[in-house]
Amino acid sequence: MIMQTKLHPALIAIASLIFLILIAPLFIILGAAVSDTPFLTFPPQGFTLKWFSNIFQIEAFRTTAITSLQIAFLGTFLALLIGIPAAYALNRFKIRLPSWLSNVFVLPILVPEIVLGFSLMKNITIGLQLPVYTTLLLGHTLLALPYAVRVVGASLASFDFSIEEAAISLGCPPLKTFLTVVLPNISAGVVAAFILAFITSINDVSISLFLTGPGVSTLPIQILAHMEQFFDPTIASVSVLLMLLTVGVMAIVEATLGLTFLTK
Amino acid sequence: MNYSNRLRASAMALGIVMAGTFGAAAQAKTLTISWWGYNGDKLNANIIEPFKKICGCDIVFETGNNADRLNKLKLRDGKGVDVIYLTDSFSQIGIAEGLFQKVDPAKLPNLADLYDIAKNPQGGYGPAYTIGRVGIVYDSAKVNPPITSWNDLWRADLKGAVTLPGITTTAGPMVVLQAGKNAKVDAFSDADKAFESIGKLKANVAKNYNTGSEMVNLVSTGEAKVAVTQDFTLASLKAAVPTMTWAQLSDGDIATLNTVNIPKGSENVELAYQFINFILSKEIQQIEAEQGVDAPVSTKVQLTPEQAKIWTYGADMISKLNRLDYVKLNQAKTDWIDRWNEIFSK
Amino acid sequence: MLADRWLRNKMVKRLSPWILAGPATFLVLIFLIFPVGSTLFATLTDAKGWLAPYMAFFNSSLRRTVLMRTIEISLITTVISVVLGFIAAYVVAHVPGRLKSIMIIAAVFPLLTGVVVRSFAWLILLGKNGILNSALLSLGLIAEPFSMLYTKGAVIAAMVYLFVPLMILTLAGVLEGIPKDVVEAASSLGAKPFAVFRQVILPLAMPGLIIGAVLVFTGSFTSYATPQLLGGERQMMMGTFLYQRAMVTFDWTGASTVAAIMVVVTIAIVVLMTRLARRMNPMAA
Repeated sequence: MIMQTKLHPALIAIASLIFLILIAPLFIILGAAVSDTPFLTFPPQGFTLKWFSNIFQIEAFRTTAITSLQIAFLGTFLALLIGIPAAYALNRFKIRLPSWLSNVFVLPILVPEIVLGFSLMKNITIGLQLPVYTTLLLGHTLLALPYAVRVVGASLASFDFSIEEAAISLGCPPLKTFLTVVLPNISAGVVAAFILAFITSINDVSISLFLTGPGVSTLPIQILAHMEQFFDPTIASVSVLLMLLTVGVMAIVEATLGLTFLTK
Repeated sequence: MNYSNRLRASAMALGIVMAGTFGAAAQAKTLTISWWGYNGDKLNANIIEPFKKICGCDIVFETGNNADRLNKLKLRDGKGVDVIYLTDSFSQIGIAEGLFQKVDPAKLPNLADLYDIAKNPQGGYGPAYTIGRVGIVYDSAKVNPPITSWNDLWRADLKGAVTLPGITTTAGPMVVLQAGKNAKVDAFSDADKAFESIGKLKANVAKNYNTGSEMVNLVSTGEAKVAVTQDFTLASLKAAVPTMTWAQLSDGDIATLNTVNIPKGSENVELAYQFINFILSKEIQQIEAEQGVDAPVSTKVQLTPEQAKIWTYGADMISKLNRLDYVKLNQAKTDWIDRWNEIFSK
Repeated sequence: MLADRWLRNKMVKRLSPWILAGPATFLVLIFLIFPVGSTLFATLTDAKGWLAPYMAFFNSSLRRTVLMRTIEISLITTVISVVLGFIAAYVVAHVPGRLKSIMIIAAVFPLLTGVVVRSFAWLILLGKNGILNSALLSLGLIAEPFSMLYTKGAVIAAMVYLFVPLMILTLAGVLEGIPKDVVEAASSLGAKPFAVFRQVILPLAMPGLIIGAVLVFTGSFTSYATPQLLGGERQMMMGTFLYQRAMVTFDWTGASTVAAIMVVVTIAIVVLMTRLARRMNPMAA
């Protein structure tokens, strides 16, 4: 493949530096995760994988990791399912929807999470008597929604809707047009929204604090609980595992949707 | 119709409510325990599985730190949980909020074997099941002469070397009390003087910490060489910096208790009593201590010096600990947080 | 197909914007605006009277200091993240496939690190005995190790570290969406690179920039753990106040008051930011 556009060498230099700084601390975390010490240290002293096996051996980590992954996948999926149509409507029918509507979808990240979690527990878990798992899922869907609507919306903003109209006027059904003409053009935005929403969900502490309950907990909450008493590198190994998981998910995305999906 | 009723009606109408989750009648009795969530595997093996066999019941957990779980219990108006583990500063808040039942000592025969400090620490509410202490840990290789009193925190040679627990942690307010003593006043009656003394301490502070792991990181990376902390952190500190030493304070360490309480909305009160009595038994206290989980409060527990090394253990040590008046403390807390912020955050 | 026939119905067509935006709007309305609104509504009055909690907040010079510090740190973080994120995203958008995937993964990684390990990494890099200090010492550039932590700069650096990836992910898609022929046409007509950037790329990227900036600003404004770990009490931000009220003193009126102030200030700044960005954009008019 060739460079599509010439990049100024200065731009490449600055971008390389930015990525270098983004990556550097990760080596410290990786080092700390394999250190054979009951505390975080760098450079690592000795080598062990026991902090990794901790995650798989301790039952509470296993069960909460499963809950966290379920909630993050389902919540992100639901958010995209209702968020993409909203993003589409906001861009396609600009004049017919009130201009403030797009900002409504920023609210879930604008309201401090503790207060959102508190209010949800008070009014939804207790007020509506909804089961803990359902409220937790709804809370995480809410957290993911800003990314689904606004990040996808940013991609749609530069989409030329006349292409879509042309397809429709040529007799292509609207739903099919959306799936075959619009969606492929905003795939980078959808992937970005998915990644950001998923990460926000899987890292979340503040909302989950209130929305977890008897029998239901998430991995970050469990990690915090572990850290109340133990100061070992388990927390570093969790970060490394999440990175590996991400590489795995990305590889699957690439393999199933083709290399071009991420890059269009 | 109030807000939540209206909301409930609309949610039902719109079919958001997932089917089959309402009114699933409980078959076997389920004991719901609210606790921190660390060391879960040992808790399971030592306590939960044996207890399940005795009671023939199911056990589920709500996990999280003190504040989260107490907040949630308050929101649920004392319902949803049958036993709640808390540190004594938080259980005192729960008592003030009217969230717990008074405990009937007759239903807890094992109480008789406990040290006095643990039997009835908070005026008729739940007992303590373990004990710890707050003191000073310092790097004996770098701090000379050794620290022997709370007043040593103010020493000029410790400039920028100390990490204090933040005011919002369990041990934070204890620093204020010691600052009061340093200024020769009672911090509860003369907060001005106590905080003046805290102001003088500020020059010695590298950074205050909010979690144990943060404190250990500060010490292991050399940002701090003196820490005011709880005893359970000592093992990790020693692992990171072998010369870290628990200071022998002439004015004494401060006791911290972990309590168990029965919330007022508990639906399985008898089971809760049975459970609490179980964890206070000599056998459980002995196993937990031997395996390094919790220090014992049962006078019947016998430990070897090696086993006892990490714990606040024995009548002698326990009798020397200072106790904090949490009733007064919780009343002063909001004011103290503001004063602390004024000093450290401006 | 039935769905398509339905979609072509006139009535449906007229309502379609609301049908599409409806479920998401409904979710925010029922599960955010109502519950949070009712929490915040309770702060408007207390035993001392109408708006008393707010009077108490603004009467404290410490609280005003913290509010201003929070605004300042968040704005600086936003500006730096937008600039760095834009440059990095521009490069990401223009490199070939495989390298692009790697860069996107590299941008995602920092977001996956827990805040405690991440701040541990900063301790190792920037601490008194950290790598940077040792390097400067051995080069003879400094005589004494100095602490770079617990300063405003440290908080901003740590937040920029977290928000540049967010900017990259948000912008890469947008920048890729800019038709290459438009840029090439402008260049071939003799426009200087900066003019192409100013008049072609920037306007087209503006929606992404605005959204990214909004996400970064709101994210930094409500952040809690990062400022606490890297700034300590000296750099206390609003999130810590809120946390203290809610989780330590169990004063939910106080906590909600802080939250309401945070929400109002954030909305005001976001609206101003959006207006300013639109005005600077020659094409938006």
